[in-house]
Formats: sequence, structure tokens, C-alpha cells
Amino acid sequence: MKQKKKRAMEKNLEKQYFVMVLPGMVIFTIGLIVPMFMAFRYSFTSWDGMTAEKPFVGLQNYIDLLHDADFRAAWWFTLKFTVCNTIIQNVLALVFAVALDSGIKAQKLYRTAFFIPCLISSLIVGFVWLKMFSNVLPALNDLLGTNFNFLLLGDGKTVLSGLLIANNWQWIGYWMLIYLAGLQSIPAELHEAAKVDGANALTRFIHVTIPMLAPAITICVVGITTGSLKVYDLLVSSTKGGPGRASTSIIYQTYATAINGRQYGYGSAMSVTLVFVLLLVALIQVKGLKSREVQQ
Amino acid sequence: MKRKTIDILLAAVMTAASVTGCGGSGSGAESEPAAAQTESASEEGGGQTEADVSEPVTLTVLAGQSTTDAGIEDMIDEALAEQYPNITLEWECVDWGNDFQPKMQQYMQSGLPDIMIGKAQDVATYAPQGILGEIDSTYLDRGLDAARENVTIDGKTYGLVYNALYQGVYYNKTMFAENGWEIPKTQEDLQAIIDDCKAKGITPFASHMVDTWSIGNVTMQFMMNDVFNNDPEWGDKFRAGEVSFSEDQAAQTAYQYNKLIFDNTYPETFSTEQTDCDAKMVLGEAAMKVSGSWSIQNFLDIDESFDFGIFPFPNQTGDSKLIFEPNITVMTSAQSEHQDAINCVLDVLTGNQELATEIYDYTKTASMLKDVTPTFANPSQSDIDSYASDGMIVDVTLGNNQLVWGGFQEENAKDIAAWLQGDITFEDALAASDARVDASSAN
Amino acid sequence: MAFWKKKEKEQIPSAPYTKGTLLIQIFMTFAAVLFIAPILIILNYSFKTKKELYLTSPLALPSSLQFDNYKKAFDKLNLATTFTNTLLYTAVSVLILALLCGITAWAIARCKAKFFRFCYVYFIIGILIPYQALFLPIYMIGYKLNLTNTRYGIIFMYVATGISFGVFLMTSFMSTVPIELEEAARIDGCSVFRTYFTVVMPLLKPAMATLVIMQAFQIWNDYLLASLYVSKKNLKTLTVAIQSLFSAQTSDYTTAMAAIVISVLPVAILFISLQKYFIKGMTVGAVKG
Repeated sequence: MKQKKKRAMEKNLEKQYFVMVLPGMVIFTIGLIVPMFMAFRYSFTSWDGMTAEKPFVGLQNYIDLLHDADFRAAWWFTLKFTVCNTIIQNVLALVFAVALDSGIKAQKLYRTAFFIPCLISSLIVGFVWLKMFSNVLPALNDLLGTNFNFLLLGDGKTVLSGLLIANNWQWIGYWMLIYLAGLQSIPAELHEAAKVDGANALTRFIHVTIPMLAPAITICVVGITTGSLKVYDLLVSSTKGGPGRASTSIIYQTYATAINGRQYGYGSAMSVTLVFVLLLVALIQVKGLKSREVQQ
Repeated sequence: MKRKTIDILLAAVMTAASVTGCGGSGSGAESEPAAAQTESASEEGGGQTEADVSEPVTLTVLAGQSTTDAGIEDMIDEALAEQYPNITLEWECVDWGNDFQPKMQQYMQSGLPDIMIGKAQDVATYAPQGILGEIDSTYLDRGLDAARENVTIDGKTYGLVYNALYQGVYYNKTMFAENGWEIPKTQEDLQAIIDDCKAKGITPFASHMVDTWSIGNVTMQFMMNDVFNNDPEWGDKFRAGEVSFSEDQAAQTAYQYNKLIFDNTYPETFSTEQTDCDAKMVLGEAAMKVSGSWSIQNFLDIDESFDFGIFPFPNQTGDSKLIFEPNITVMTSAQSEHQDAINCVLDVLTGNQELATEIYDYTKTASMLKDVTPTFANPSQSDIDSYASDGMIVDVTLGNNQLVWGGFQEENAKDIAAWLQGDITFEDALAASDARVDASSAN
Repeated sequence: MAFWKKKEKEQIPSAPYTKGTLLIQIFMTFAAVLFIAPILIILNYSFKTKKELYLTSPLALPSSLQFDNYKKAFDKLNLATTFTNTLLYTAVSVLILALLCGITAWAIARCKAKFFRFCYVYFIIGILIPYQALFLPIYMIGYKLNLTNTRYGIIFMYVATGISFGVFLMTSFMSTVPIELEEAARIDGCSVFRTYFTVVMPLLKPAMATLVIMQAFQIWNDYLLASLYVSKKNLKTLTVAIQSLFSAQTSDYTTAMAAIVISVLPVAILFISLQKYFIKGMTVGAVKG
């Protein structure tokens, strides 16, 4: 009797919870999931993005992708950009956060200085750094009589580093704040205890700080990786994927193919590959990082 | 306090729910294609008065603009307000190169704006889709005959060409005079100037290869004089498999000229934007620039007394023609319910000479209307006139219609840039262009 | 340059430095200057005339402090309208997001049924969807539902694209909300809804603050969705206006620079004044993930 009543109550509760989840589900499904499935469907057609009919071609687009050198090059660039970004941004953000947390003066001022760039939209960041590399920094050369090569965006060999500088300039402050928040939430007693045990600063950092930061690391690593895989805006206003194709990311290539190249079906197949890679990467990272968190 | 919070929350949740509700109820209604535009002028009845509009109408306009065009919308608005106060234009101005095609694709799914302003080559892209309206001959007749040729498909004209650009090599007249250089007619002449430049420490060419479009643009200029000049159907033959970039000597020569420029320009070309490049030209840092009328605005903005001329880039046979490009082209929607109002706008554009002159002077471009001549001082005008009187002018739309910009020329330009940078070989670049043959036509 | 002086002033120590902190202070000052430099360059450009742009060094200061570029940018941006629109879209979207994500995340965290686990994964997938690549379907669905060129349409899309991250953030925060209070409320006979609004909601404030701030500047800076959904002049947003100014005025980028300053200023002020809450929100919201 009691059992039954409890179950009925649970069912009732579940219903109420369900009502709470529903609005969000509906909006999300209509706004994002349905378009994704539409793209998935287009990826099996040779639609040009204009005509009414969308001829079905089966897996042809995906087969073509295997032989598409530009597509491979775009993925190669995207992966390089992502790996470098994930490492550099995480390390620098953490270094800055630790430095700010070391008890220096005017912490707030530095925080603001590092954070301001990420309030600017990527489109503008790209534009500004194009000017920085091509006009401002060379002028600095003239001023100082030095001869650094600042024309990073103008050469296929250096364009990646140029874009990394721009992207890191924009985002380091953001991730730094997350690390900073993590650092400040570590109880001081832990450090004290380690000190008593005779651990030096470095061992304390590795054995106390890093494990305590695990959740923040998860957020930052996943955030930076998935964000970098989706890089597009930054390129539009700076290199436009060039010189040549040296900085063409996968989204940029998708856009150029689907829109300007009027091959919407083929472009959709490209974006589907991106969705799968994103899912895979996020899954692996969350699994890996979470299991580390648990171990600690 | 608590109650207040709850009230706010409830209101917010209801807002959220109503948003969801909108989504749900809307899905049932089969939306008619023109809904997007009619909304703005929904009270409009039939409006079947002829050539005049008695009730207020709002027309939507999608304008794909080049850098020089931005700002003409205000001039048109002003003139329209005077002549047809009942008509209001709702402008959506986008960059032609980046955003016009996406916007058109977007609107083809819903319903086109009443008026679209693009380039002459857009007619060939969109007219076969059956979405563009025919332009009334009243207005076409006010334009030059040359304006019609490449916007007419199967005898019907879908575009009103409003102005034109000239493309070729802009040169610093003062510098040419000081060094005793003659206008080069052949590659040998050009090489002599380049050699002399180098001997005197002058950069022969200003260029801005960070803009891939400029590589694509000059390549088409080269193609016009070295390829289409001899074989006006080259593009169609290319699609038929009769010719190819890998085998055609002339096409390869056209590609190779890019290398000539690259080898004779300043090293930072892949970091230099158009504005900076134009400035270098004006400041006397370079002698020549392969470009088009869009540079004039910049030249004169930086130094109103800059003296420059234009000549066609010399081809192998020494008979290069100056390139002419119909630019601003007005297209209309076949579905629009406001044909009368559209015609009024066309009337203002073609009939109001004051407006036309104002626009030409502002954009520093050439007129495509009969009896209208721009009044701005264009130092290169005398050169243009002399080529025109010799019949040495060719319309680039011929090439642009056969080998489309988006997906083909634009992509080829990326390969050329990669080749110049040493990332791929010349043969790779040619092969890549050949592999893109399916994308070379819009339809 | 002016910022140097300011930095030096800040450096005057009120407590003695150790060797280490002094070194760090110097290093961080150097880094901060590098970070601020491009911003100062933007400011510098925004006051230059077009001639100065070409004839003087990019590092040279403008000959006079004149606001012509700002006036021009103000006019071109149609600022009164675009600013109000952007503010409205941003404010309403983040408000809805905060409420919706809170309630969704709570239900997901509290109900152990399989369906809700699925819900969580379902929402998280959204973080990974590159909606930039889906713009045509996003437009088509919006058009079919009559959402294009409406205020609620664009807000709907901001909510749809922001909800994933919000649910993710809020769900991770839920573990810090003590369940005992809720159980007590339920025993008192409160419905699930009342429990949420009276007991849980107030506890979620810090996480909501984080969410609001994080989403606010993303929506403020959004270009793609705004350009797809609101093309009418009276509905346009600041970023869209700036973008068209941008692509049109490449030959006149001093005006574009002034426009950048105008667009960044409001979010910068928002951040600087709410910095405390932001950091606090980050601590409780993001770190307990």
C-alpha cells in the first residue's frame, strides 16, 4: 500500500519535472537540432542552395570528400590551430592566474587588462590584428631600428602563429579568470599542510594546486578545443583563409563550398564531419579528464 | 519580497512559453513566399495605378556593394523622396564579395526583396532560376546599348546596368614622364620599364595580395587579353573538355603574369590591403598598379592632385584592350507585388540626371546612361577616351559569365596565391583549376 | 605614452615585496601592457584623419583630438535604434536563459529517471553543434515559423543557441545546492514548482549571474544570427550595423575604428562594474564543474 503510494507520488513528481524541462527542450530542438538534421539530410543531395529540388545522391558527397585535397588541408589547419591553441592558451592562462594569485598589487587592474580583449567580437579582433601585423608593428621596427619579421599573416609558413597570437590575445583573459576562480577556491589549509610536510613550491603546485584545479582544467580544455575547432570569424576579417589556402579552417571551407561555390549539399557533408569530430573530441576529453578528477 | 520574485518569474516563464507557443503555432501555417515583403506594406491594396503610386509603399532592397558604392543609398533615398514621396526604400546593404550570394540564397528560400542591386554577372547566375523580373524597355532605353548585351538572356533583359568600371594598369604619370617611359604595348616594353625601375630603386608594381579577390580580378584581366581575346568561347570550350588550363599555353601565360607582378612588387604584398597599397602608389613608392576604377576614390582621397593614367596590361600579341566592367546592376523580383513602385524607382535612377551625376562623381565611375557624364576630374579619362575611340575596349562580363566568380575564379585565385607562396607547384595550380570545371558555371 | 604612467603609479608598493613577487609584478605589468597596446592602437586610429592614416606612422598620435570619425560612425550606425535593439535582445534573451536554464538544470539534476539523463546529454550536444555551418537550415526553419524579421524570433534563436551552455553550467552548479532544504519544503507540501521558485532559485543566483554575464557579451557581439534573422532597418543590431560599415568602409577604417570603440564601450563598462560578481560567479558556477 505504502509502496504503491510512493510510486504514484514519484510518477507525479516526474511529470512535474518533465513539464519543467519541456520548454527548453522544445526551443532547443526547433532552433538547433532540427536544422542539424536538415543539414544532415542535405548532405545526401547535390543541392546548390538555390533551386527548389534537391536531387538525392546517396553517399556520393562523402565519397568525394575522401579525395578532396582542399578539405583535407582545411582539416589539417584546423587541427594544428586547435592543438596549439589548447596547449598555449591553457598554459598561459594558468600561468597568468597563478601570477595574479601570488599576492601582487593591483590584481584587479591586471585582470581587467587581460579580460578586455575577449569583450571584442572575433570579427573585429581579426581586423585589428591584421592592422597590427601589417602596419603597426613594422612601424615599431622603424622606430626602434630593429628588423623583426612582423608580417606573420602574409606568409603561409607563419600565418598560423599570427592567428594564434590574435586568438590568444582575445581569449587568455577569459580562461585566466576561470583558473583564477579555481585557485581562489582552494582552501589555504591544504597548502599549509603541504608546507608542514616540507613540500617546496613546485611540488605543492603539482600535488595540491593542479589536482584541485581539475574541474577548471576540464572546462578550459573542452572549451578551448571545441571553440578552436569552430574557428571562422577570426579568419573572415584577417586572412580570409589565405595566403592561398594556408589558413582555411573547416568552417571556412564549408562556407566557401556551400555558399560561394553553390554546392550546398557537399558543404553540408563537410559540416557533418565537423559535428562528428566535435562530438568525438568532447567525449574523449570529458571521459579522460573526468576520470582523472575522480582518481584525485 | 518572495512574492515579488515569484511574480517576476511567472511573467518571465510566460514570456518564454509564449515564445515557444509562437514556434508551435507557426509551424502549421503554410507560409507564402512573399510574406516577408508584404508585411511592410500590408495595407496596400491592389495599387494598380499606372506608373504612379498613390498610397505609401515600402520596397525592400538588397544592395551588394563594392567598397566605392557605400553611401549611394542615401542619395537615391533623397531623390526618391522628392519625386515619389510615397515610396520608401528599405535598404539592406551588404558587401558584394562576401555577403551578396549568401543573402540571395537565403531569400530564395523565402522570397526575394523587391529590388536587388548587384553586378552584371549576377544576372547570369540568378535569371535562369526564373526569379528575376524583366526590366521595362522605357528605362533600358535611357541607358547605353552596350549596357544590355550581357544582362540579356534569350532576348529578355533582367538587369539595368547603371555604371561601369575600367580595369587595367594604373600608372603614375609624373613618374613616367620623369623617367621617359612610354606606355608599354608589348611584354618587352613592360619588361624594359620594370628593369629601369629596378635599376633606379623604384618598386615596379603596387599590389595587395592579402585580398584574394584582387588576384582573381587581375587574373581575369590577363585572361581577357590573352585568352578570350583570341577565343571568345574559351570558357564554354573548357566545360566541353576541348581546352584546359593544363594544356592551354595562353591560359598558362595569364596565370604566369601573376608571378611577374609578384616578383616585381614589394615583399609585404601578402600583408598589404588595398587602401595601404593605393597609398603606396600615391606616395610614389611604386610606379604601376594592376587595378580598376575602385582605386580612384582612394587615390584622390589621399592626394587630390595625384596624376595617373591607365593602360591595358600588355599581352603576348601586343593588342591588349582596356577592360570595361558594367558594375552596379539593378535587378527586380519577378514575384514582387509592387511592380509600379519598382518602376518608379527605375524611373528615378535612369531619369534623374542630377542624381546620376552625383552618384558617378561620388563613386568615381563611368556613366552607363545616355547624356549623363560625370563631372569629377579623372586624370585617367583622356587615356580611356583614346582607347574608346580606337575601339580598344572589351567588356569583362564575357569572361565572367563563362567562368563564374564564386566557386571558380575565386577558388583559382587561392591556388595562384598558394603557388606564388611556394606551397604548391604551378602544375598543381593549373590542375586544381581544371578539377573545378563543374563549378565554373552558375547553372 | 599615458598608460605607462598609470601603471607605474599602481606599482608603488604599500607592503614590501619579496624578490619573487616583485619579479612577478614586473612580468605581469609587461604582459598587461602588451595586452592593452592593441586597444590603445584602436583608440589612436579612431582619432586620426584619413590623411594622417597614410602620411604619418601608425604609432604617431593624431595631430588634434577631433571626433569627426565618431560623429560619422554615430550617423552611419543609426545608433539610437541599433543600440536599443541590441540592448533589448540581449537583456530579454539572458533573462529567459537564466530562468529557463535554471529550471531545466534543476529538473535534470534532481530527477533520476533515465529520460532526464538523456536530456542532459541532448542539451550538451548543442555546445558542439557549429551553428555557423548550419545557417541556411536555421534561416529556413525560422522563416517557416514566421520568426524572421521579428524581435521574438531573434530572441528565440539566442535562447536556443545559448541553452546548451546554460544547462551545462547550471547542472554542474546544482551539486552545491543542498538537497535537504528542498526535501523539507516538499514535506511541507510544496509542489515541485513552488519548491523551485521559493527554495532553489534564490540559491542559484550566483550561477545565474555568471550565466547572464557570459551570455550577455556573446549575444551583444553576435553577428551571424542577427544578420540572418533581423535585416530590417528598425530591427538591426549594433554588430550588424558595424559589420556593414566595416565591409563598406575598408577604405576609411578610421571610422571603423571609432565604431569599434562605440560598440565595445558598453560591454567593457558592464564588465568592469560587475567584475566582482563575475569572478564570484565563476568561482561557484564554473569551478565546481
